[in-house]
Amino acid sequence: MKKNIGYEFKEHLVHKQAKAEAAMLKEFSQGQYTMEAPLIKYNPYFVNDLAAVMLFRTEEEVAITIRVLGKTKEADFYHTFPKGKEHIIPIVGLYSDYENKIEVYPYQKYNQKVVHTIKTPEVAGAKLVESMDTTPEHMQDNVIFLCPAVNDLAIAVDYAGDVRLNFTVPMVWDVKRMPNGNILIGSERLMKMPYFVSGIYEMSPVGKIYKEYRVPRGYHHDQITLPNGDIVALNCDLENGTVEDQAVVIDKDTGHVKRTITFSNFIKPGSQKSGSWSDEDWFHCNAVWYDVNTNSLTFSGRHINAMVNIDFDTEKLNWIISDPEGWPEEYLPYMFKPIGEGDFDWQYEQHSNLITPLGDVMCFDNHHFGAQNPDKYLAANDSFSRGVKYRIDTDKMEIEQLWQYGKERGKDFFSPYICNVLYYNEGHYLTHSGGVAFDGEGNASEELGPFAQIDDPSVTLESITVETINDEEVLELKVNSNYYRANKFTLYSKDGNNLTLGTGQLLGSLGETPQMDYDIPAEDSGEILPDKHEARITDEVDMFTFESKFEKGQLVMLLLESDKETRRYFISTSKGKRGAMCTGTFLPDDDRDTRTVISKEGFDGDYQVKVIVDDKKYDTGITIRA
Amino acid sequence: MVINMIKELVKEEFNNDLAKGAVLVDFYSKTCGPCKMLAFILKDIDSKLGDKVKIIKVDFEENPDLIEKYNVEGYPTLIMFKDGKEVSRKSGLQQKPVISKMIEEAI
Repeated sequence: MKKNIGYEFKEHLVHKQAKAEAAMLKEFSQGQYTMEAPLIKYNPYFVNDLAAVMLFRTEEEVAITIRVLGKTKEADFYHTFPKGKEHIIPIVGLYSDYENKIEVYPYQKYNQKVVHTIKTPEVAGAKLVESMDTTPEHMQDNVIFLCPAVNDLAIAVDYAGDVRLNFTVPMVWDVKRMPNGNILIGSERLMKMPYFVSGIYEMSPVGKIYKEYRVPRGYHHDQITLPNGDIVALNCDLENGTVEDQAVVIDKDTGHVKRTITFSNFIKPGSQKSGSWSDEDWFHCNAVWYDVNTNSLTFSGRHINAMVNIDFDTEKLNWIISDPEGWPEEYLPYMFKPIGEGDFDWQYEQHSNLITPLGDVMCFDNHHFGAQNPDKYLAANDSFSRGVKYRIDTDKMEIEQLWQYGKERGKDFFSPYICNVLYYNEGHYLTHSGGVAFDGEGNASEELGPFAQIDDPSVTLESITVETINDEEVLELKVNSNYYRANKFTLYSKDGNNLTLGTGQLLGSLGETPQMDYDIPAEDSGEILPDKHEARITDEVDMFTFESKFEKGQLVMLLLESDKETRRYFISTSKGKRGAMCTGTFLPDDDRDTRTVISKEGFDGDYQVKVIVDDKKYDTGITIRA
Repeated sequence: MVINMIKELVKEEFNNDLAKGAVLVDFYSKTCGPCKMLAFILKDIDSKLGDKVKIIKVDFEENPDLIEKYNVEGYPTLIMFKDGKEVSRKSGLQQKPVISKMIEEAI
């Protein structure tokens, strides 16, 4: 048999990083590296190509201060590392295509400073920034971190509009800084098309991954850390044929699922349908928030135009913020009546809900479709998006709109998908409209950015991040792409280690990939899957990916045959568009491409990979090992 | 003996078919891979449930009037009717337990 199926074993990033780190430390141990002549490793963790690690020894035990010199003094990033004789220092905040200067000196001994140069190549994200309008006094040494929504990967932008972090792998979904200084962000390991990934990385901005919290049945959109350190992550109820309608509570130490919260237990599917609703994606949860004062969780359901609050312990429904039109009567007691003299608009297809320390509820109101009733839907050109803050009274069930930003900008600020708001203090908010798209004639696109970009080359994408203090704009960042969310933080954490050595951990499990419980009758062709399908398999430690081209409408099934069992996985060749595409980062250019990921959970021994196409069964010549 | 209850749509009989008992309507396309897979699953379910449920297959391309009437947005779509009233609906390829549950809730 001809062997023509591509096969590659792809190391998990934590293992690849561990090897690279060990090699770096070995090189360090074998050389006489000093502060004047250190070992410098550019992008040693393969993730951030505007980062490096500097290694040297000092005779005395000293703390070391480093200053990554900016193009202006206000753009410097600096940090002092703890006392020691061996110094392994992460360097972050480099510029693209630039001879970066790094000042290094023992703490408080500025006269001993030495300056090292790190020349960087031009990186992909550096040309995306259109404008940054703010002041160094406002931004200080913070950056705006942008999470991907299309093919452009994560970047971080300083006060001057320069890119100072550029990820080289598609880590996606929300980014949050942890109390220990590390960040949490979704992994790049696609589990299920179009955007469900294997889990959440805890990592340092230099690129080092400490943990992957694997999330059964695929992680998406958002997570939040509970006061005890456990993580609530969003996933899917695949067993019931639905997606984006579950959350899991993950143990902070083991990564194991402690609890599963299934949304159909408190909202009946189909009770409300936004313009993007589908039977499979009936809730489309895109945000989770934990409120310590009420011990409650709030979930943002884009496809029910609602923010839903439940008791954390009992999972009983507390309240729903939604335009009440069209909701079944049983939910009306949980809904609010608008009050107040000022403007009031309900939110539609919102994202990113949060509860402020004063108990007010904020979200990014995409205002997509702008109504419950399809007869009143707004066209994109007539729409707006905004950040909004509501005050709720849960005794009187009244709601008042306290603040909004964005409605006045009309279609220029309209994002039909993604986006977020952040609360810094009363009157001080960030509003990120990251999904703006215009067609070649300047009309707001009716299509979501990732689709619009593929379908029409004349489409332009924009991401607009605005910070306001008492309604005054103190920052506006425009980037020529779509970005899922924005967050603001310093690249050097003042509280954390910034770099901890050692092999990262894979925690928890991916869960079993649901199998088809029915066999397709097919004749064994005795042949390898033909070349025209361009099939290839990428094997990993805990899953593998089968990629291949099939024509629309072909009946395709992946079979894993061992001497003990046959596992069957259906491959959809349907080309239907989803009503949601909150990160199009993994979308293929060719709509014949299929990508099927199988978790190895439950595997026992070796499996021959075979493929049924219509009524014929083909071999691949590939064996997958548990 | 189990009576096979899967049938292709006969327009003149459709209203009568729907009017009484549990009826699962499968809106499918001949050019759809998931629909082909679903056909195997429905056949299996039918062989087990027999006359407890009628299964009617409706070609998506050939029946635009029914597509509009029942607001079917894509294929495959399964709509479960009980005594003429829609009680549940699922779009996309579904696993056997999900379909069985739809039927059991309508019987």
